[in-house]
Amino acid sequence: MADEGEVAVQEEVDRALASLRREIAARFPPPRGAVEAPRLREEWVRLFDEVRRRLATLGMSERSGEVDEFGMDEVVVGSSRRLIDLLYERWFRVDLSGIDALPDRGPALLVANHSGLLPWDGLLLSHAVERFHRGHERPRFLVADWLITLPFVQPALARLGGVRACRENAERLLESGRFVIAFPEGVKGAAKVFRERYRVKRFGRGGVVRVALETGVPLVPVGIVGAEEAHPLLFKWTTPARLVGLPFVPVTPTFPLLGPAGALPLPSKWVIRIGDPLPIEHLGADDAADELLVSRLTEELRSQVQSLVDVALADRESVWG
Amino acid sequence: MITRGRRAAAREGRGLSAPGVIAVTGLGTFVGRRLVERLLARSPAPRVVGLDVRRPFRLDGRVAFHRVDLTEPTIDGRIAEILAQERVEALVHTAFRNEPTPDLETDHEVETIGSLHVMHACAEAKVRRLVVASSTMLYGPRPDNPNFLSEAHPLRGHPDAHCVANRAEMEGLLGEWSLRHPDTEVTVLRHAWIMGPNVWNRVVRYFSLPVVPMVLGYDPLLQFVQEEDCLHAFERATSEPHPGTYNVVGSGVVPLSTLLRLAGKRILPLPSPLLYRMAYYPSQTQTGDPPAAFYDYLRWLWVADGARGFDAFGEPVYTTKEAWISFVSSRRMRRYR
Repeated sequence: MADEGEVAVQEEVDRALASLRREIAARFPPPRGAVEAPRLREEWVRLFDEVRRRLATLGMSERSGEVDEFGMDEVVVGSSRRLIDLLYERWFRVDLSGIDALPDRGPALLVANHSGLLPWDGLLLSHAVERFHRGHERPRFLVADWLITLPFVQPALARLGGVRACRENAERLLESGRFVIAFPEGVKGAAKVFRERYRVKRFGRGGVVRVALETGVPLVPVGIVGAEEAHPLLFKWTTPARLVGLPFVPVTPTFPLLGPAGALPLPSKWVIRIGDPLPIEHLGADDAADELLVSRLTEELRSQVQSLVDVALADRESVWG
Repeated sequence: MITRGRRAAAREGRGLSAPGVIAVTGLGTFVGRRLVERLLARSPAPRVVGLDVRRPFRLDGRVAFHRVDLTEPTIDGRIAEILAQERVEALVHTAFRNEPTPDLETDHEVETIGSLHVMHACAEAKVRRLVVASSTMLYGPRPDNPNFLSEAHPLRGHPDAHCVANRAEMEGLLGEWSLRHPDTEVTVLRHAWIMGPNVWNRVVRYFSLPVVPMVLGYDPLLQFVQEEDCLHAFERATSEPHPGTYNVVGSGVVPLSTLLRLAGKRILPLPSPLLYRMAYYPSQTQTGDPPAAFYDYLRWLWVADGARGFDAFGEPVYTTKEAWISFVSSRRMRRYR
């Protein structure tokens, strides 16, 4: 009896205490900082340690120290892959087609139109081929002189797989059986002002065709649309360019205005169309000396690239679509 | 143990026409002195004639030494006499400056005109083989160089590096000379920067600094040849017929910053105008060249393609990175973390 009564009293007291606690908790909410402060401090300490460790092993942790003969670092490529994937999927929302037209394995020379100031097109095209082609081989892209000799740009591009555009380098890369991306428009392409967009310029002096004939590799035309709007070049500012030794200072809607943040590309919609290889199998290394043939093939290649660009433009709904 | 295997391979191969008497100029240089040591260590040791301005250290008694000053006006006749008298069959010309000196005129006299004297003497004494030490530095560091320079690439040098210009001029003279004297086999070995436990020169001095300055924003791919690989190529070029020009380099390339980090060095990146200005006065007292002549080699590409040399003298044992590590570990520069 007494036990039952005691239990009942105990339950009553517990219930009253619980409701009191709830009421106190409801009326006086605990200060948030009091609970989270120690955890926050811990995180700061961890962050500080991490920064200190990174500083101590500056560079070594994210670089393998092993580079291939053209200076590409697998570790840098691997760690940049996520960022480039993000750019590819979310930022530029690349629409790619025709990747099956590429031969199963290298060597092959991909010839694309060039636009935009920074080599986003080279990076994204090599990323696309590595990811979606059946060979999963990473092509190397050729970069024009004016860009690859700039300080800071030179080591960064070399680590990511960029190679200075010249005949010897292209031949060596192709002879080692790799895919190579070339932009024969060169500086004329990079320095295209916005009103000239989507117009493929003259292809150098036929060097691309000559290299392909001499090494006997297929020539694959590629049309890229969207790089123009990533860095729309309004005009070229030449007056201050002489001071820094550049051919011109680019003026884009963001560039000198926002400072370094202007290097960030605008999120345009990209379309990449890979065409069928040029039918040059019947030609040999001797034909590279035939200047008229080379110039005819060069023009044919240019018009193929131009038509791929036109197709890509028709497929794209809008610039930001 | 590596050298034994190689020597056996050389004997089996085309090493039959090994010359009995070999003359070496420049016993004080690294390549000259070490090459003589290697030649004397061969099992039928050839007779070695040494030509230099100074009596060689440690080689005394084993080398038939003749004192020769390449800057004297009629020294070619005297060298021809020595070569004829000793019946020299092959001559290795390594009498070049290890590093530039402030005395530009004497450098030119020794390197270009002195070499011309040696060539004239070889023609007079009908020496069958002439091996000349050159350098891949002669291609010059240029932003528009291809990643790999073949032997056919023009020798553009560096506008400020007079030492390099002297040697490039010498190679031009040698090319003309060899056309006029087709009976002499001429081998030119252009070696990259030599790395290894025993080298000491301007390049090594730069890499041994406690804080190594770099040109801000540039990180070129560098290429070394290990000293043993380099000497091996010289030895084979001396004892076998290999007419032509060869790049003597290690395989592979390594970025400068990676090299310095492997050695645990502290790096001081400086913008190029500041670096060149800071290095100007100290370098003037030592080399006579403005610092751009050296630091541009740490800014632009000048990597040579070694395929032709590999075919002729065999694959190098050390890669560029291994050559660097052999140098670093010998100097106990490596700091463990």
